[in-house]
Amino acid sequence: MLHIENLHVAIGDKPILSGINLDVKAGEVHAIMGPNGSGKSTLAQVLAGREGYTVTAGSVHYLDLDLLALQPEQRARAGVFLAFQYPLEIPGVANVQLLRTALNSARLARGEAELDAMDFLDTVKGKLALLGMDESFLYRAVNEGFSGGEKKRNEILQMAVLEPRLAILDETDSGLDIDALKIVAHGVNALKNPERAVILVTHYQRLLNYIVPDQVHVLAGGRIVRSGDASLALELEDRGYGWLIPDIQEETRP
Amino acid sequence: MNAIAMTRYRQALAQAGGPPRLMTERRAALERFIARGLPTTREEDWKYTSLDALERVEWHAPEHAPAATVAEDYPGAVLKFSNGRLADSTPQALHAYSLAAHADSALVRQHLGKLANDAALTQINNALWQDGLLLHVPAQLKLPPLFVAHHASEADAMLHVRTLIVLEAGAEAVLVEHYRGTSDLPYWHNGVTEIVLGAGARLTHLKLTEESAAATHTSQTVVRQARDSHYFSLSVNVGGRLLRHDTWVNLNEPGAECQLDGLFIADMRRHIDQHLHVEHAAPHTTSRQTWRGIAAGRGRGIFDARVVVQPGAQQADAQQSSRNLLLSPHAEIDVKPQLEIYADDVKCSHGATVGQLDEAEIFYLRSRGIDADTARALLLRGFVEEALRLLKNTGLADWLEPHLIAALPLPGKEHTP
Repeated sequence: MLHIENLHVAIGDKPILSGINLDVKAGEVHAIMGPNGSGKSTLAQVLAGREGYTVTAGSVHYLDLDLLALQPEQRARAGVFLAFQYPLEIPGVANVQLLRTALNSARLARGEAELDAMDFLDTVKGKLALLGMDESFLYRAVNEGFSGGEKKRNEILQMAVLEPRLAILDETDSGLDIDALKIVAHGVNALKNPERAVILVTHYQRLLNYIVPDQVHVLAGGRIVRSGDASLALELEDRGYGWLIPDIQEETRP
Repeated sequence: MNAIAMTRYRQALAQAGGPPRLMTERRAALERFIARGLPTTREEDWKYTSLDALERVEWHAPEHAPAATVAEDYPGAVLKFSNGRLADSTPQALHAYSLAAHADSALVRQHLGKLANDAALTQINNALWQDGLLLHVPAQLKLPPLFVAHHASEADAMLHVRTLIVLEAGAEAVLVEHYRGTSDLPYWHNGVTEIVLGAGARLTHLKLTEESAAATHTSQTVVRQARDSHYFSLSVNVGGRLLRHDTWVNLNEPGAECQLDGLFIADMRRHIDQHLHVEHAAPHTTSRQTWRGIAAGRGRGIFDARVVVQPGAQQADAQQSSRNLLLSPHAEIDVKPQLEIYADDVKCSHGATVGQLDEAEIFYLRSRGIDADTARALLLRGFVEEALRLLKNTGLADWLEPHLIAALPLPGKEHTP
């Protein structure tokens, strides 16, 4: 489903990713782990189409599409979803407005009819229940005044409504208490099916107790330095990242 | 003022009507106007706005009979003015009259001209006003929404609209003024509005200025508030070539409260200059101002708001907020929030910002499958939302919404400067 080959990405003159190779098949869950500053978030952002990054070499194919040639909205309509590490607050725009506009954009792109307000509400109510969210969430401005946990849940709500083929979760676990983590994991697991794939970008193993990955990759210094199965995450939890990357110091992100 | 212009104004006076007392006042006002001339950019209050273009037009009083106006489905009682004169009204329009028809009434004699200042634009309105709304709401009466539609359809006509609103003690009203004209037609609306609010009276006043792209709109609104009265106003300025609004509110007695909110959209070559003045003249008075401005194309917006807390106006509570978006390198926004405080026990704050649409927010929406233009439209709509809170309690939001959407400066809609 996703085929990343020799991907090099820079911000300005500064290389961030230096030759990423990754294959994700439909039905799989991949975890991308690594120390701060290793390029995990950059990879997620580049896949979603964020401006400001220069792809200096390599390619990304998604289904039969050249992903890097597509605008962010085209990627989303083709089924790519990024749950943001820091979801943005959008004052004055109600959650329901964002969700309906987004869903109908995707439906139109697929040649389906737009959902009217009633049908949309029926669809979204089921998703709210899945995430234990109150209907009042729909009428609040997007993420405005939301707690950290509410913002993350709201990302998963958007994902649940849009039903992407490829969901990329960028540190969705950070800042969540254990109950919120379980709810988020439940939302992700409910989405899983043989047609879909999930990439979990995370610093910690904790989330992987609830969403079990098929493969775990360790990103360091802009490369994948080790891949393995779920047991690799447990080993990282025990030993940290240092043993995989003796020449790269753990650095805090600015 | 040159001789030709003087002649034109005097000719217009010859067409003005009214009782002899009024005619005497009109003549005196016109001579004061002619002696003074239009304001110039040398005056501090006018330094951002030049009325030079007005001097080059051969203005005349409207000659044509009131014409049919553009159809609009107003959700309430309606009074329609065409080229400055009352053209039509719906039977539900209670307590709302033609000011010209009641120019000699005791009420009008008691209040007309008592609040407005003596500036040049007031003088010319004093001299040449043709008609306008007289709204008189009796004590304790609650009036359903009243729409006053002003439509201009005569080229180079100067339309001096005069409005008098008197709410007796405990009265409540919702008034919507809507100013429009034939597309791309040059004309000049110059309004003076005087509002008297009795004790405990509540007026919600929405003014939508959607003039033609070649029109000039100047106006002055002065409000006098008695004890525990509320004046809620929302000014939506989205049309015209040149707009200048002056609003002056006197909080004269304890418990008086005003909320002066507004939104302006200065795109293309539109110039919009808004001046607000709130005078806290009594203790325990409250004022709120929430304004949002957008400038695009070669548009220019000015927001000049002054709050004065007089000595002795203890426990005054004043807040100003002005947030603005610049959407083009050729657009300009000037913001001048001012607080003048002469009392020591007050709560006053103001904040003003000028910025741009946030690229990160646009990306966030695009990453959900929303195209860039729609994302910008959503963000612009969200940006103005905060200035529109007044609408929530009036039921007018659904009516205003399409006007607002039509005015948002969106890519593809922007005319080349």
